[in-house]
Amino acid sequence: MENFAYHRPAKVADAVKAMKKAKDGKFLSGGHTLIPALKQGLANPTDLIDLSGLNKGGVKVGAKSVTVSAGTAHADVAADKGLKKAIPGVAILAGGIGDPHVRHRGTIGGSVANNDPAADYPSACLALGATIHTSERKIPAEKFFTGMFSTALKSSEVITAVEFPIPKKSGYAKFPNPASLYAMVGVFVAQMGDGSVRVAVTGAGPGVFRVPEMEAALAKNFSAKSLEGLSVKSKGLNSDMHASAEYRAHLIGVMARRAVTAAK
Amino acid sequence: MTEGCVYDSDSGQLLTGSYMDYCMPRAADVPSFKLGFTCTPCPTNPLGMKGCGEAGAIASPAAVMNAVTDALGVRDVPMPASPHVVWKAMQPMKKAAE
Ligand SMILES: Cc1cc2nc3c(=O)[nH]c(=O)nc-3n(C[C@H](O)[C@H](O)[C@H](O)COP(=O)(O)OP(=O)(O)OC[C@H]3O[C@@H](n4cnc5c(N)ncnc54)[C@H](O)[C@@H]3O)c2cc1C
Repeated sequence: MENFAYHRPAKVADAVKAMKKAKDGKFLSGGHTLIPALKQGLANPTDLIDLSGLNKGGVKVGAKSVTVSAGTAHADVAADKGLKKAIPGVAILAGGIGDPHVRHRGTIGGSVANNDPAADYPSACLALGATIHTSERKIPAEKFFTGMFSTALKSSEVITAVEFPIPKKSGYAKFPNPASLYAMVGVFVAQMGDGSVRVAVTGAGPGVFRVPEMEAALAKNFSAKSLEGLSVKSKGLNSDMHASAEYRAHLIGVMARRAVTAAK
Repeated sequence: MTEGCVYDSDSGQLLTGSYMDYCMPRAADVPSFKLGFTCTPCPTNPLGMKGCGEAGAIASPAAVMNAVTDALGVRDVPMPASPHVVWKAMQPMKKAAE
């Protein structure tokens, strides 16, 4: 690990200012991705701007949406009673991230900013049509996740919150990589108030993506039965030592049916 | 069932180089244990001690893999019998059934 300057601003505007001043700065949230990268020398920032001093809003349940502030740990999202009732799929998802250590340190802002292709949250964001609030603007999820580990964020832009619209029903099912516990395949299913359905898949491809055929079938009839016989092509899916693209394609079908069955 | 070392076939680099890729069983992955002791002291030294190592570890993988091949009705399944490996072993049967 190289030396770096450490900042802990109390205001979002100061975090942005500190980043603009830094030669090669990095925001630090829960540190569960960034600290290992520093230790291995994969990231060598000149400045670390710790966001843990920013005002923590936690989870706010509104009439039409739930807003989770960026610094909220996964365990706090999973345990929030209001969110559990409004969007059960998101609570289940947060409660299934990694292990208890990860859930008590890792944050939604860090997870979304990192856009790991095997992270859980991007699927909920895309399926629910979430809005990512930042220090400068509001970015719809469709425009936010731009590919493997990349997002629409500018280098000095801070995520302040993630806003999820409240659906009629939501469900999440994940097949964890047995070693890392990240999603080998995770499927988030959301049925919105107008009856439309969105299905988002994480872990299987280079980035989170939707499955229009499943969405159309579920919009007609929201049941696991509607998905029988529907399969996703393995072409373009990830293939690694843990699972081939064909196995991931198979798991998308299984997880989608489980997510629909679990949807509340 | 979970542990296996994977090397890159081109470079020889160990791919399962950390616990993010090498699946060391956690508490939730193993059954609870019943402990038993068999005491036959060695007669040729005053403390009755013997060298011994991993005796149970020799038989258990064979028992587990035999159970897997028996359940699947196939002759061979490579270790570790991860979900992916088991799924792959089942594919020829699925094709035959269709
Ligand atoms: C053993 C282990 C298992 C895990 N399993 C899972 C899993 O199953 N599913 C899953 O989804 N994740 C998993 N994770 C990742 C975990 O969820 C972390 O929360 C996530 O990687 C990053 O969040 P963080 O708060 O730790 O961010 P950090 O590590 O602090 O930051 C990550 C990146 O985001 C940037 N960043 C952080 N906050 C902001 C912000 N507010 N605005 C702009 N940029 C920001 C940082 O600069 C950095 O580049 C796992 C991690 C570990 C170590």
